[in-house]
Amino acid sequence: MNTHVKITKDIEPADLSRRSFLVGTAAAGLALGYSAVPGLLGADSALAAPSNFDPSVWYSIAPDGIVTVTCGKADMGQHIASTMAQIIAEELGANWKDMRVQLASNDPKFNDPVLGAQITGGSWSTMMNYDAMSRAGAAGRMALAEAAAAAMGVPADQLVVRESTVTDPKSKKSMTFAEIVKSGKATKTFTPDELKAIKLKTPDQYTKIGVSVPQLDIPSKTNGTAKYGIDVMLPGMVYGRVVTPPVRYGATVKSVDDSAAKKVPGFIKAVILDDKTATTTGWVVAVANTYDNARRAADALKISYDGGPNAKLSSDSLLTEARRLQALDDSGLFFVKDGDTAAAFGTAAKVIEAEYTTNINIHAPLEPMNATAQLQGDIWHMYSGNQFATRSGAIAAGAAGVDPKYVVMHQMWLGGGFGRRLDADMMVPAVQAAKAVGKPVKVIYSRENDMTMDFSRPLTLQKVKAGLDGDGKLVALNHDVVSAWPTKRWGIPDFLTPSVDKKGGLDGFTVNGADFFYTVPNHNVRAILNEMAHNATPSGQLRSVAPGWTFWAVESMVDELAHAVGKDPAQYRIDMLDGKGANAGGAQRLRNTLLAAMGMAGYGSKQLPKGEGMGVACVSSQERATASWTACVAHVAVSSSGEVKVKKLTVATDVGTQVHPDNIRAQVEGAALWGLSLALYEKATLKDGGIEQTNFDTYTPLRMSQMPEVAISVIANGEHATGVGEPAVTVIAPALANAIFNASGARVRSLPITADAVKAAMSKA
Amino acid sequence: MPNLNINGRNMSVDAANDTPLLWVIREQLQMTGTKFGCGAGLCGACTVHLNGEAVRSCQTSLSEAVGKKITTIEGLSAKGDHPLQKAWIAEQVPQCGYCQSGQIMQAASLLSKNSDPTKEEVVAHMDGNLCRCMTYSRIQKAIMRAASEMRTASATTDRRAT
Repeated sequence: MNTHVKITKDIEPADLSRRSFLVGTAAAGLALGYSAVPGLLGADSALAAPSNFDPSVWYSIAPDGIVTVTCGKADMGQHIASTMAQIIAEELGANWKDMRVQLASNDPKFNDPVLGAQITGGSWSTMMNYDAMSRAGAAGRMALAEAAAAAMGVPADQLVVRESTVTDPKSKKSMTFAEIVKSGKATKTFTPDELKAIKLKTPDQYTKIGVSVPQLDIPSKTNGTAKYGIDVMLPGMVYGRVVTPPVRYGATVKSVDDSAAKKVPGFIKAVILDDKTATTTGWVVAVANTYDNARRAADALKISYDGGPNAKLSSDSLLTEARRLQALDDSGLFFVKDGDTAAAFGTAAKVIEAEYTTNINIHAPLEPMNATAQLQGDIWHMYSGNQFATRSGAIAAGAAGVDPKYVVMHQMWLGGGFGRRLDADMMVPAVQAAKAVGKPVKVIYSRENDMTMDFSRPLTLQKVKAGLDGDGKLVALNHDVVSAWPTKRWGIPDFLTPSVDKKGGLDGFTVNGADFFYTVPNHNVRAILNEMAHNATPSGQLRSVAPGWTFWAVESMVDELAHAVGKDPAQYRIDMLDGKGANAGGAQRLRNTLLAAMGMAGYGSKQLPKGEGMGVACVSSQERATASWTACVAHVAVSSSGEVKVKKLTVATDVGTQVHPDNIRAQVEGAALWGLSLALYEKATLKDGGIEQTNFDTYTPLRMSQMPEVAISVIANGEHATGVGEPAVTVIAPALANAIFNASGARVRSLPITADAVKAAMSKA
Repeated sequence: MPNLNINGRNMSVDAANDTPLLWVIREQLQMTGTKFGCGAGLCGACTVHLNGEAVRSCQTSLSEAVGKKITTIEGLSAKGDHPLQKAWIAEQVPQCGYCQSGQIMQAASLLSKNSDPTKEEVVAHMDGNLCRCMTYSRIQKAIMRAASEMRTASATTDRRAT
């Protein structure tokens, strides 16, 4: 149902014909205006070292045998650079100790082979790069073996390549990768067809995939040497601190009085942004010789604003508008339209309706937004950690008033991403400040800038109407999802999803998950844009994106239905996961995962004390075509005052194939705790057009003392590898709410769940 | 110009007395392992030691640091092999890694006084350090592992001494 971008159900291998894959082609200047740029990161460094062997753009082997992988994905803690190296090393036959990683520039040759751009999100990276990295590794192995065969005077097909050494078992001769590269004889090239034809290893032949090798980036993250965007230092660089208006979006600067700022030592200039990309409104940058002086100058600026059209809006206004839009018959576009829900409601034995909401949430990665801009000749060099180099480069170009081909993005490690660094607002103040003062400028947001100007998870309202037949079976479901549309803001039509009746493009990243794997014969999902929220709170993709709210509604409602007809909520789900029609395969995998979680948690078999309860939820996040099948059993205790204590979260997830088992567990645990944090602890609110929470005293992600026991079971059944960074986020909130109901009879329908809301719902129960 | 004793070296810096130590360390001394997170003492990313005590360098002025021994992540061990750093690698703790310098410095100040902490003591000591990737359980395991190693090493030293 969701067919945006170029994702197909089985993830087709990349169109290799468009890629500069072969030996020597990196030097041929295929990269359109980039290859002449000095100082490029990435594989272009190989140009200066012709003795390296570069079997693909993705890695280079130096004469000392060191294999340096260039990762085109943003590494924000998911260790994706290391994962790419692991997949390459598997087919290449390299020793893990010889593997290194570096981060790619925005040269299009490093674009994702499936997505055709440099964007990191959706828990897509492993699944979409698995085939390309495997083939790149295998091509290198074949080229090295062929060169070794010639040098040793033996047939290539009897050689064994293992741990960076090519060995002939018959003659016992061997050559290391280092020796082969030094010989200069490894020159074999592959046409795209030859690459496609390479027979890859079968999983039973794997020696690295499936092994928890030490992550290559971790040592540098224990001794202070890992370089993040905020750590970039350039000669002659000065510093910028942004001053952001009290209104999230739409304000304009009326005047700036810098007379007090001028008394701050080292103050250089106050720059009013002229942002033609419309990413920011009403921003000023205080530039000084040090960041602390820039901060002092920023605090000393007296700026008067016109608050603009959103200056009176609040969270309540956005919610009221969402309810108004939902009530209209002609709102929105259909994401799902199966059967005839209107007719089915007419004959239903029972109809149940409920409204589910989520508040605004803030990404708050621990590294505040920052970027460093440097103009050298005609080229803008931008240093930052970002998740969408393709678009960020274009925004930087827009801010500079140049063609995007004159922007080089230098990727750094990301001090947290979570979707925040898909947005490129930080490019604008860095570029315009650097332009204004004629020096490289590093702009660093204060935490207050970062929180109040977040491209937040939008406030959402969902109305769900369910029709049951005489046997209690769900036969009709209308599901309306009202929110800002983060992806629409990007202005990239390919990222929108055509509505099922071809009436327009909708933001699939606000409704993914609502196209679940339960068999429901009559099913509508409407995606409704809340234009007011869209304008007042420009929203972004926050870890787990739409399934973070759609499954909140679906999995809460399914529970409510089960209770309404007196069935066990887990069994009610299993009955609907019958795998009929388009749900074949996926539904069974989800059912199996749910059963695994139930078994681990002792669901239904453990006697719980009064005031305690277990609740289940199961999800096909992130998207139907890219799902990791994930289920949770939450175990809670609820006090008479409504306080919820989470005793244990049991999470099972079917990821098909495990590349790195330990990393999967780390990601699933982090995701589950994110889910818990969003469900209980994180809430942002809009008042007078501005986000009220400014730092970690009022916006309060989970801390160590709030961490419950988390049990994880990873199911690897040999299917394609799926993503693990996000799906477990989405299963927690509904499992908790369902557990709270079982413990106390209180049904809560708004996130985050508060003790007051639980207590109020208990009195209704 | 004020002199700082940092990681065993004396260095003179040029900054106003009320400049937060964090920015002196990061910009003037170009030691970027100490991180800026919140600027308000709420997240712990900027944690360093002053005379062995963990402090938030964003809330510590330059003048408060003068005359004291400052230790940053770069100076915690000679080769990045403090028992906590080794334990952080053994447990594969970091995800994005941005908070981890502060986590390690905070943990080091606990283990220097208490090499056999209970889980509750670890939580109480570490609760001011946010990890947005939520690596808390691995942080706990790594602290326990490092504590165990330090106790073993200390017992070995004691035996040698007698």
